[in-house]
Amino acid sequence: MNKTINQKAWYFVIPVFILVAFNAAIPLMTVVNYSFQETFGNNVFAWEGTRWFKQILLSERFHAALGRQIAFTFIILLIQIPLGIAIALTMPKKGWGVPVCLILMSMPLLIPWNVVGAMWNIFALPDIGFLGHSLNALGFDYNFTQQPGDAWFTTILMDVWHWTSLVVLLSYAGLNSIQPAYYQAAEIDGASRWATFRYIELPKMKKVLTLAILLRFMDSFMIYTEPFVLTGGGPGNTTAFLSIDLVKMALGQFDLGPAAAMSLIYFFIVLLVCWVFYNLMMKNEAQS
Amino acid sequence: MFTKLYAATWGDVGKAKEKGFFDFDLFSWMAWTWQTASFFIFIALCITVMLIWEKKVPGGSPRKGILGLDTTRGDRLFISLLGSAFIHLGWLALVGSLLWVGTILCIGYAIIVFRYV
Repeated sequence: MNKTINQKAWYFVIPVFILVAFNAAIPLMTVVNYSFQETFGNNVFAWEGTRWFKQILLSERFHAALGRQIAFTFIILLIQIPLGIAIALTMPKKGWGVPVCLILMSMPLLIPWNVVGAMWNIFALPDIGFLGHSLNALGFDYNFTQQPGDAWFTTILMDVWHWTSLVVLLSYAGLNSIQPAYYQAAEIDGASRWATFRYIELPKMKKVLTLAILLRFMDSFMIYTEPFVLTGGGPGNTTAFLSIDLVKMALGQFDLGPAAAMSLIYFFIVLLVCWVFYNLMMKNEAQS
Repeated sequence: MFTKLYAATWGDVGKAKEKGFFDFDLFSWMAWTWQTASFFIFIALCITVMLIWEKKVPGGSPRKGILGLDTTRGDRLFISLLGSAFIHLGWLALVGSLLWVGTILCIGYAIIVFRYV
């Protein structure tokens, strides 16, 4: 029997293709063009070759911003992933507690980024904010607008508050998909709580956890709005993560060429990590 | 010097600009240069070659390469291009000049990727 081959359905992809061309490919091409040129505005450009790339790659400012970014992402992953799993493990599996927990957990995820930033800014203000004032009343010398350590603490706390729920919800979904038979078998074997977690729950959650780590990595690596509203990259440059530094360079200093080169380097790093995670997920898929 | 700069930018605002053959108004804001244009033409050519290759030998010749990854031809092209970007960046950061040597390295790298990964 011969199947008729009809590939005309591909034409339906054309609208999406055009849309992606306009919102992704053309701006990206423009960034590539900018990254090799110098401009003073008014659409006049001068060829600079690879100068901006060299400048960015060797600039201490970029190294510092990248270092801060990696540290931030690493710290929030280190907190959010174990914390998310722990909360998911303690959440009820049936009864009225389930919808209550799920809704409470999704609340922070629904709040817009700039609102989160503004909320935490006011919350943490040392003179009038609840957190800031309480910490000072307890005897801590806390002021996130002037002390780098406090600024980091507040930024990380804000991100943990905002995004741990995502890890919780994903882990919870992963936990709920485990068949009761596994737990029964573990019980018959007399497995401890830790062994059940280590050999049943964790392997079964591997897929969703990879996804959670990928999502949290990407979001935190490209974080902009929340620290921008909370600290504005300050005090000094101490919380100026990559995106904040990039916007400072592109719009604050109008250094379009170096900023374009920096965004391309940034883009390549993100692309590499995405690729690694994609392969990890595909490996998990192939195993199960 | 500043009058020159001034003339080259804001002084030109009202004047009719002399147009080159490829100066379409639609694209001029994108600040094209022949170097970047040829880069994108190269990428487009790569994708076209992949399309033709796929027509001739369908299926993408999937295999498990030396990295233990299941790759098809498309994956190999992606790994080659992304790796080349990093090789070029590394060359710029560590050596700084003679970028074409880096390009030759990339071609070697791409051949290895297509052969073994």
